[in-house]
Amino acid sequence: MASNKIISRSVLNTLNRFQRLTNLRTYSSQKETLAPALAKRNELFSQEQRRQQEAVGRVEKIEVRYLGLPEDVTLAMNASISTPYNCAQHLSDGHCKRSALALKDGNVPWDMHRPLTESCTLQLLNFTVSDPHLVNKAFWRTCSFMLGAALQNSFTDDAHLQLHSFPGPNIKSGSFVYDVVLRAQNWQPSKAELRALSAEMINLASKDLKIERLDVNNELALEMFADSHYKREQLPSIAQQNQGRVTLYRMGTHIDISRGPMVASSRFLGKCTVATAHKIANEGEKDALYRIQGVGLPAGFTLDHVAYSTLEERAKKLNPARLPNEPFEETQQQIA
Amino acid sequence: MNQADVSKLMSQLRIAVKPHRNLRNPDGPEGRLLKLRKTVTALVKHERIELYYNRADEARGYAELLISNAIRYGDRHKATMELADYWLLEKQLVHKLFKVLVPRLENCNYSYTRLYKAPRDYPGMYYRKSVLELRGNPYPTLVTDFTNNRNLIHNVLLDEARKDYRRERLAELANKIAAESAENEKKAEAVSEPKITEQVVNSESKAELKGVEQVEKV
Repeated sequence: MASNKIISRSVLNTLNRFQRLTNLRTYSSQKETLAPALAKRNELFSQEQRRQQEAVGRVEKIEVRYLGLPEDVTLAMNASISTPYNCAQHLSDGHCKRSALALKDGNVPWDMHRPLTESCTLQLLNFTVSDPHLVNKAFWRTCSFMLGAALQNSFTDDAHLQLHSFPGPNIKSGSFVYDVVLRAQNWQPSKAELRALSAEMINLASKDLKIERLDVNNELALEMFADSHYKREQLPSIAQQNQGRVTLYRMGTHIDISRGPMVASSRFLGKCTVATAHKIANEGEKDALYRIQGVGLPAGFTLDHVAYSTLEERAKKLNPARLPNEPFEETQQQIA
Repeated sequence: MNQADVSKLMSQLRIAVKPHRNLRNPDGPEGRLLKLRKTVTALVKHERIELYYNRADEARGYAELLISNAIRYGDRHKATMELADYWLLEKQLVHKLFKVLVPRLENCNYSYTRLYKAPRDYPGMYYRKSVLELRGNPYPTLVTDFTNNRNLIHNVLLDEARKDYRRERLAELANKIAAESAENEKKAEAVSEPKITEQVVNSESKAELKGVEQVEKV
């Protein structure tokens, strides 16, 4: 009798394992089938990244003078291959984890995962330096970027979501912004929906996704964003201001156009709430342009819920940043 | 029978004090108390000490009660002086308690001590370590202070929110005053219309207008 039980249990176990395996397979297959346009965009991004890496050819050495704690050191790094993150790896694990942005030559903010091209001085910035305005701006920009990713992940296909763009970061306005187009002219987000979007942001943050930068030419960018009408509209003017090149950022599978530096990873986002969505204008008969706003703090900053709620309340007011359907006022203006 | 109100017999401490642990000691409960007296003495002497967590938590309760009694009763009170004499093994610290710590901490609205977690000794004795300190001690803070640098992102956001709020309130107030002055003007006009008792009316309207001017100046 006992042996029968044991045999049957082992049979049960294998059956369970087989079932679990099939569940896993179906789950992973659900996750891996990205929308074909998104998959193609990622493939093109990876290809271009690989091509640029291989195009380096002969490895040249550069001297990177690191200034900061624990001591100033000179590092011998590889031009167009080594990133500030690699320099941090020579220092300590703490430096790698804490640095959100690098400062090249004392005044140029540089992404942590962007290769250095020439000898320079390097400082690794985090959110608690004495003058954090560059890191703060990069953080705010990254929040907008992540909001785009969260919106893409959250909305179903029925909503026909199209990401438009996001304006330059303005922390004093109290909110970061992403402008989207939805096939609904009278959409008011419910509290549950806003909470779901905030949860998606925190989800992205917990995944610790590296944010990579890539400089591509205009044609490749147009090919990558073949499915997105609004992005294709913006690309020529961006390329024109940037000598025919467009800077793209990738986080996980989300790729977007942005000018300035981003923080090193999605892990730097701490508290985050998506506060509201304001309707800007109608786009044609069925679509409408919405401005989604949110507020957030970097990881490590604890604020009591009363103070944080005042920030959330303020983030609900319409952000006065340039609206996407308004014409450019200055020639210098560019999508950030 | 109503239970007498015993809540005021002992000071209400601003920390959570649980029933005491039986700290292991070869001399039993007496040894435990001696060890705790040494700990409290060290805390009052050095104002910041690093030790294992269990003893720190125990000593914290005794230290808080000692300080709170010293503040409440002062040094003229016999029972408090005996308590201080028992707990502080170095007698100059009794003077320090009543003459230095009491004035420093008497207006404090929160606990008189702070207990932090300290890094644990690995490999080795992996017991929880902690740092116990008196508030207002002269050493640099152990916790990073995020309130002084107004350029940190949370401070930027909060300062702007505060400015926005004040702007709104000022605008509200200005609107209120403008509305009031408009009302007063209307009243003045209504009063000045009939021509029969002009002189009287004029003086009245002048008074009203003066009142309006005063309000506008404000």
